[in-house]
Amino acid sequence: MTLEEILAQDDPSLVTQLSAADLTRFFWKWKGLQKQYGRDTAFYLATNENLKLAYEKLDEQERELSHAYGIIQEDLGVAKQVQTALLPTALAEMESQVELAVFHKQLTEVGGDYYDFFRMSGGRSAIGLFDISGHGVSAALIMAFLKAQFMQVMEEPLSLREIVDQVNEASFDFLREVRRYSTINLVALDADSIRYVSGGGYGYLIPAQGENQQLKKGSHFLGLRKKPYEEHVLPFGKGDLLALYTDGMIEAQDKSGADYTARRLHAIIESHRELPMQEILTRCQADYQQFRHADSDDCTLILVRRKS
Amino acid sequence: MSTLSSPAEASQEMMVHGSLMLGYARACMNLNIVAGRRASQMLEGIELSQWYPLSRWHALEGIVVQSYRNAPPIMLKVGIEMMSLWYHHGPGKNLVKSGLDFLHFQTGGGGFQSVVLGPAATVGEFRLEAFDTKQGCASVYSTTPFNRDMERGVLIGGVLAAGDLDYVDVVAAADTNRLLVEFH
Repeated sequence: MTLEEILAQDDPSLVTQLSAADLTRFFWKWKGLQKQYGRDTAFYLATNENLKLAYEKLDEQERELSHAYGIIQEDLGVAKQVQTALLPTALAEMESQVELAVFHKQLTEVGGDYYDFFRMSGGRSAIGLFDISGHGVSAALIMAFLKAQFMQVMEEPLSLREIVDQVNEASFDFLREVRRYSTINLVALDADSIRYVSGGGYGYLIPAQGENQQLKKGSHFLGLRKKPYEEHVLPFGKGDLLALYTDGMIEAQDKSGADYTARRLHAIIESHRELPMQEILTRCQADYQQFRHADSDDCTLILVRRKS
Repeated sequence: MSTLSSPAEASQEMMVHGSLMLGYARACMNLNIVAGRRASQMLEGIELSQWYPLSRWHALEGIVVQSYRNAPPIMLKVGIEMMSLWYHHGPGKNLVKSGLDFLHFQTGGGGFQSVVLGPAATVGEFRLEAFDTKQGCASVYSTTPFNRDMERGVLIGGVLAAGDLDYVDVVAAADTNRLLVEFH
């Protein structure tokens, strides 16, 4: 029998039948397998060692990432505190004229919805609501930038439109450079009326008497075009109610993908219009929370009602 | 990325044939010693019929050598796998019929010269310088810029590929330019 024939069987006693030449081959075959085993073992040890090193490296990177994540979380916490500090409390002169209620919720720690109460020349006050494109830290920084821009011009003896024009002019190049823009709804409270300038902002007026009306969304967003804004005037007497909001609320979706809609928000406000302001706001929030499936945007709703 | 499509374009720089580069890359992938992004990086822009500067070859070698603390057993295995691919999936079977044929194929450096281009001083040589069938030993002289462990693997894999020999080992002599082959 040849070496190959014997090796194909399971009987070791057959080895005695090998010729001298096949015995020699048998010897070298075994030595050859030993060599191959040695080479394979060395290969697997080397790759295994690398695997161990890779795991160690992965552990180290995980620790570094975790550390970096901790720092980012800490920074975001501070950023949130700063952004909250930048949001206003109602001005005393404003509170003497109107009741106010605000629902403001950022999608992440910090966000791009920004509202403010401004003191204007001549003792007037104004409410501003802005929705800056994007979310997170970058949007929050733009918010701080816009706030600074408005603070600079708000008390100058300018019309509402001129104020917005100036801010748009001053911030246009920067906003273009960082590829951001913002909706604006700036509403000044006069004795028995409101003046407003809107660039993509949402507003709804529910007068004590007469027909409800939506504020004109009107002009361009801040930072998108260098052209003058339009100013509008509407009566705003005792008991009249104004709602200002961003798209985060009305574009919230339920599980089926249907939008919350401005119509639904308006209906809720109107059906509870006789309640105290904070109570109306709570009803709006409850309806929104019950409707929406998941948060996908920053969300702000400001309710204003004329006292006297 | 620089490539040359014909030997006529060869400069003073050593060039390596795309088939060798792809064989190396494929062997690395078969052995799972590179994967993912690095595997794609290895194959990127290499074509079978093109010539590439030696620096590109060294970059390929570097991907493996720099990734493993103990690279010699890896490179040895890569060399063996390259020749297995050459024999079973390339032109090898038509060129050599036995393990000894493979060693003879290295006479005068013919095998090596089919995959490199350039001035002799840069390219070096890889040639059979001694051969003794009775003793089962041979000596290959190598001054190529390639990794010596991979070359040991190339000789082992090339001699074993036809499957007619039972034992092959290749060690580097004290003079590292000499690779000593033992076969039975």
